[in-house]
Amino acid sequence: VQVRVGIDTGGTFTDLVRIDRGGIRVHKVRTTPSDPVASIVEGLAALAGDAPTAPITYGSTIATNAVLERKGARVALITTSGFEDILAIGRQTRPELYNLLVSRPPALVDAALTFGLAARMDPEGREIAPIHAERLSELVRNVAGSGAEVVAICLLHAYASPAHEAAVAEQLRAGGLVVSASHEVLPEYREYERATTTAANAYVQPLVDRYLARLEAVLDRRPVTVMQSNGGVISTTVARRQPVRTVLSGPAAGVVGARMVASAAGFERVISFDAGGTSTDVSLIDSAIPTAQETRVGDVPVRLPVIDIHTVGAGGGSIASVDTGGGLRVGPESAGARPGPACYGIGQDLTVTDAHLLLGRLDPDYFLGGRMTLDVERARRAAAATARRLRTSVDDLAEGVIRVANASMLRAIRVVSLERGHDPRRFALVAFGGAGGMHAADLAADLGITTVVVPRHAGVLSALGMLAADVMRDYSVSVRKPANAVSMSNLARRIEPLVSQARSDLRDEGFRGSRVLVERRLDVRYVGQSYELTVPWSSGYGDAFHALHARRFGYADRTRPIEVVALRVRGIGTAARPALPFNPVRRRRTVPARVVKDSRFDGRSRRTAFHRWDELKPGDRGRGAAVIAGAEATVIVPPGFHFFVDGFSNLVLTRGA
Amino acid sequence: MTMRNRITHGRHRVQPIEFDVFKHLFLSIADEMGATLRQTGFSPNIKERLDYSCAVYDRDGETIAQGDHMPVHLGAMPLSVRAAIDAVPMEPGDAVMLNDPFQGGTHLPDITLVSPVCLPGDRRPTFFVANRAHHSDVGGMSAGSMPVASEIFQEGLILPPVRLVRRGRIVPDVMAIVLANVRTPDERRGDLSAQIAANRVAATRLHAAATRYGAARLLASARALQSHTERAVRATLRAIPAGRYRFEDRLDDDGFSEDPLKVAVAVTIRNGRVTMDFTGSSRQAAGSVNANLAITWSACLYALRCLVREDVLYNAGVSRPLSIIAPAGTVVNASRPAAVAGGNVEASQRITDVVFGALARALPDRIPAASQGTMNNITFGGVDPRTGRRFAYYETLGGGMGARPDRDGLSALHTHMSNTRNTPIEAIELDLPIRVTEYRIRRGSGGEGRFRGGDGLIREYESLTHATVTILSDRRRFPPYGVRGGAPGARGRNVLIRDGREESLPGKIELRLRPGDRLRIETPGGGGYGRAADGE
Repeated sequence: VQVRVGIDTGGTFTDLVRIDRGGIRVHKVRTTPSDPVASIVEGLAALAGDAPTAPITYGSTIATNAVLERKGARVALITTSGFEDILAIGRQTRPELYNLLVSRPPALVDAALTFGLAARMDPEGREIAPIHAERLSELVRNVAGSGAEVVAICLLHAYASPAHEAAVAEQLRAGGLVVSASHEVLPEYREYERATTTAANAYVQPLVDRYLARLEAVLDRRPVTVMQSNGGVISTTVARRQPVRTVLSGPAAGVVGARMVASAAGFERVISFDAGGTSTDVSLIDSAIPTAQETRVGDVPVRLPVIDIHTVGAGGGSIASVDTGGGLRVGPESAGARPGPACYGIGQDLTVTDAHLLLGRLDPDYFLGGRMTLDVERARRAAAATARRLRTSVDDLAEGVIRVANASMLRAIRVVSLERGHDPRRFALVAFGGAGGMHAADLAADLGITTVVVPRHAGVLSALGMLAADVMRDYSVSVRKPANAVSMSNLARRIEPLVSQARSDLRDEGFRGSRVLVERRLDVRYVGQSYELTVPWSSGYGDAFHALHARRFGYADRTRPIEVVALRVRGIGTAARPALPFNPVRRRRTVPARVVKDSRFDGRSRRTAFHRWDELKPGDRGRGAAVIAGAEATVIVPPGFHFFVDGFSNLVLTRGA
Repeated sequence: MTMRNRITHGRHRVQPIEFDVFKHLFLSIADEMGATLRQTGFSPNIKERLDYSCAVYDRDGETIAQGDHMPVHLGAMPLSVRAAIDAVPMEPGDAVMLNDPFQGGTHLPDITLVSPVCLPGDRRPTFFVANRAHHSDVGGMSAGSMPVASEIFQEGLILPPVRLVRRGRIVPDVMAIVLANVRTPDERRGDLSAQIAANRVAATRLHAAATRYGAARLLASARALQSHTERAVRATLRAIPAGRYRFEDRLDDDGFSEDPLKVAVAVTIRNGRVTMDFTGSSRQAAGSVNANLAITWSACLYALRCLVREDVLYNAGVSRPLSIIAPAGTVVNASRPAAVAGGNVEASQRITDVVFGALARALPDRIPAASQGTMNNITFGGVDPRTGRRFAYYETLGGGMGARPDRDGLSALHTHMSNTRNTPIEAIELDLPIRVTEYRIRRGSGGEGRFRGGDGLIREYESLTHATVTILSDRRRFPPYGVRGGAPGARGRNVLIRDGREESLPGKIELRLRPGDRLRIETPGGGGYGRAADGE
């Protein structure tokens, strides 16, 4: 029996999901901040002690947090001389317009560790000023003596010719230094984004390297693959060399998980909606998972293919407050997991979760499968002062808090759907994370979405998604040629080396024949634009571009010349899809409420049926108002919605009739 | 067709607990307009530097929500909308274009496009939407249209409010006039298409929102948001000690004479209201540093908005407690036919400096020292020898931020009235016959003090062909001030390096570069805060 385990290390909990023919088992352990590997060992012993060679797919926030909290390595940065301050200057903007006390996080590389190299390429990759051997040796000596743990190199126009960077890297590596060179990490134009991506790679490299080495040592005979931000997995060897590719692995795995669950349940076009304690991640899957070419980790741009996810600072822990103008505000400050919402018994602040509780939409005695009880009186005390300031009742305030949180989440969904030319009504909403099921129905009603799916394992969907992820490698090359100046056969010659590289790298990861997929794409724009759209490889790529431009932006100009900016290749080694446990629906029945209580919806008290998810069977159905409390998430079914438990034990909510 | 009652908002009350719901709604519309402009624009100013603004207005042309784009557009955008409403009766599907600084514009490169949004049941526009973008060239005496000029007629094509789009179709005659008057017509056509698309997106979204919430409720919420912001501003003003606070500072010169230009203000705060009186400022200058009234409004509104510490929505509520006295014919309220290209970018910074200087007397523990006080406008023009095509390239450079009461100023970024991004060096070198040979922080240029002013930056260009360059910069003679004993920041410097010799250039100049010439711009540092010894 093939056992596989997905592990997602978060700041508070480490989630483990085991899948085999017998089904899915979930285990959560507290993350030991000083030694997350210990938590993994503990969790594995409990969950998969009987399968000591079962393969592991792993994702964590370690690299992300290192960047956000500036706890990475001492990096030396080598730039073209005259441009040593590239990271400190950034895009020469301030992060907030109207804040006189605005500040910027320090650059990833200390000014004292930046080094200039007097050599220069032009945009065509021709050498303007050569490298002097003596200067290079001196540079290498200085860098070696600087105390840096690792070196990043980003020279101007290295995407056009890597010769200078390669020469520098070779010398440094010969001296035993670990190097991230920009032409290896990201061979694309725009020096600042290339520099930050390369520096971020160097910045997290020693940490991730040590961590994965230790993980492999401890896991002994278990093969390990690592989740990436693009929704695929890579070997630990690649992850240790290019760790920047893993920075947003958690949210990415969540989207992969959402797609797997939705697809099994019969939904190919979905909006994944992951609402946690602090933030909400949203992504739109139009059959395929969407890719963006750039993201940010805090203030640091990382220009590598990632799943296109939009994040807003609203979640179950978001704090409600009153501003100077006397308006109610929710978030972006969050009570997080600690102290948490007031009803958790530690914090004082009114949060979105407290608001749900005050409206009677949560069962205080059975939260997260009975692992927690909630303190209603404490939540009420937290709400009272705010309600007085707004001259409103606690009930009206609580509904207001939820409406404001919804508005913020709604905005995120609009960004990934309407702003990208998609009508949300044609999609199902897949809601997960602790708070997803509490808000999804309201949002669906607002957007005209008719179906909401809350996966059975809504609380550990990232760990589950890792088990569905393919091995994925991305490659790109800058072109920047007008379409009429470069033939398809010329483009084919330029993309061929990337295709061969992809095949060879996948072979090294053990993939052959029909398990290897190679996707080719082109980044295209109108001559003179700065933003590209990515279209599939085809001699009709121009038409595809005009059509996509019209859909995204409302207009296209077929008389205007277009240019090819970059070519992209993705090599995919397809993984065996885990079979989700399925029990066919034998009979449909309207399930009786376990308890009926009064809850508030739309300013009115409603008789509300309370259910426990664990007690529901495939085929069970009911109508809102209802609350379904599960071990991983609570689902609120407002009046006007029906619910239904499908064969995978997912909850499916439908609107109307 | 029968007359129908137009939509009113009289009976709808919007609860404070709903403000944020509608705030998100209107802001997301402004943001989506911005995303459309950025992603489909052609001018580097729009697509790389993000020199644009987008906003939604009520039927009276009052701002409901403006995206966090360019501060210098804050006060000026509503005046554009007002001018468009007054000049042109708008129907659904129209878009009115304008840039005339004396009819709602700021400086000529900023072209504003205003569109009505007419909801079903309303006989006149229910909302207006507008976006303003800085075009790389609008004709005139020098490439890039930021010349050292003495009359507005030299600065480029003047567009009073005229329809660019009528009932959904571009008016070809108007477009033809625009394209015939500019150096880079293809780029203009592309940018204007992007601006039209941005307004269309906003109209679609407002229609959808009206369907969802009802037009009357939407309008009522807009009013409520304006009042909400107004309350926040008034509460902030009431917390400032009442009084009359004066300050003055100077612009270096106008590029023609060496006479400095005085900008003086008396800020009076009382009972939740503020008056900013610029009486005593210099007469308008021959050169292009003059601000029109729209710019002065922008600068004052920006300063006021900065005093509110919370993240309130920027809208008409900010302007209600504010009165401005700016005598006509002065450098803060220039009259036709004054040249104004630099008012937007240079005078606006000095106006901000004096308003903050006055406020520092009321709130010494909250107001920073002066920031760089210029945008260092550099424009290149010529013919690209690689393609034989004309080019016009404009950029502005960041500098030092003034030290704050509790921390140093930041270095090498845009301050106060601008927040445009730099253009990637690799993009410049790919697209233009210019090489950037240095780009670094100008260390030591921030003013000393208990907290140090931020450092300026150094940007050096090498021209690869014969080109014209226009520099419009300030703070080359009078440095950014320090406060409470802090030292001033270093003055900026402009240097031409030709045949190995360095020649210092004035702050405002147009000159011809030969291949191999280098132009080096060193931007000012920010002023320091407090005496240096206090911190030790």
